[in-house]
Amino acid sequence: MKNWRNTLAIILVIIFGSALFYVGTDGFRAFTAESARTYELLKDKPVFPDVTLQDSQERTYSFDEFAEGKFVFLTFMYTSCTTVCPQLEMNMADVYEAIPKKYIGKDILFLSISFDPERDNPETLAKYQTYFGSDGETWRMARINDKKELDSLLKRLGVIVIPDGNGNFTHNTAFYLIGKQGHLMEILDYTKIEDAADTVIAMLGNETGG
Amino acid sequence: MKQAMYGLLLYIFLILPPVANLLESIMIVHMHTQMPLLVFSGFLMAQFFQLRFPRFFAKWNQNGVPGLLLFLIVWSYWMIPRAMDEAITIQVVEIFKFISLPFLAGVPLRDSWKKLSTFGKGFIYVFIMLIFSLMAVLYIGTDEQICNNYLEVDQKTLGWGSLAMAACMIIYGIQFIFTDQSTYE
Repeated sequence: MKNWRNTLAIILVIIFGSALFYVGTDGFRAFTAESARTYELLKDKPVFPDVTLQDSQERTYSFDEFAEGKFVFLTFMYTSCTTVCPQLEMNMADVYEAIPKKYIGKDILFLSISFDPERDNPETLAKYQTYFGSDGETWRMARINDKKELDSLLKRLGVIVIPDGNGNFTHNTAFYLIGKQGHLMEILDYTKIEDAADTVIAMLGNETGG
Repeated sequence: MKQAMYGLLLYIFLILPPVANLLESIMIVHMHTQMPLLVFSGFLMAQFFQLRFPRFFAKWNQNGVPGLLLFLIVWSYWMIPRAMDEAITIQVVEIFKFISLPFLAGVPLRDSWKKLSTFGKGFIYVFIMLIFSLMAVLYIGTDEQICNNYLEVDQKTLGWGSLAMAACMIIYGIQFIFTDQSTYE
């Protein structure tokens, strides 16, 4: 064959290209950094760090005290947000409604964490939670005052928050489900309320034997 | 050789950390300025490799197709939103960007271009045009944040930028088809 090298080069290039795309997208699973993040997180199942929360009723407690061997359904938001956060919390409220009452408070708790502790003081949070029917007990809204704790939590769960300079933040959005041992169990699409509720109910059913 | 020298200078300039950081801080500049410039620097530097290893290129890129494919693959890879994100957050990916765009896209493009038939050249042209159009649809159309390191508004800007590029390419393509090129030669 006259130009076997040329042919071989074509084959090598195609192999290289496939490998590049395969590795670069975790085997064609993750084309955005966000999906890659979700994929990584679910593989690693990081432990939720023990941060100190201050809730809408000005109570201060650690996350471990709050969760105490229960599932925690978690979102990150800030109250001045006009775009995605109200939608996120509204959808969270729908999930809250969809979960059978017997589980709520006993097996699962809901928590909305604000990553804007400067503006989101307990008063603001108390007002904000009324918009979504959060009762402040089984679904609490809280801020993390310690900047270091907040940053380490966001980093651990891969939440990227970018201030846009006008007092707003661009951030990635999802539902997080923390297991009884404090491990991250699921990251759920916040736009698919039913799917999220089904996943949570199934998990609760498994854990409590029906 | 002068050309290769300019290419090298451009390349060194682009990888200087302050320059790289500045260019990467704006999404559209990252994709439509830094990346093409990196390819271009490789395009210029290719002369050095061609003179140094003429037999390698003659043998392994005889009809230009391997180089064409390599260029298209590497270029397409960097159009994945995740690749752009990771170039910023993961150092290894950033280094890979600075190696792959000039040496695995710019160099083979230069070497292949002259060897390719009109069809091959047209193929590259149409391919890039389609990619830009696709990106325009993707970045303008999605309301979600695709890249974690950039704001959504940057994303939209990039989308419109890509659309402008695609539009220019389409206009150029049309005039190329409908005008008699021989009168200009």
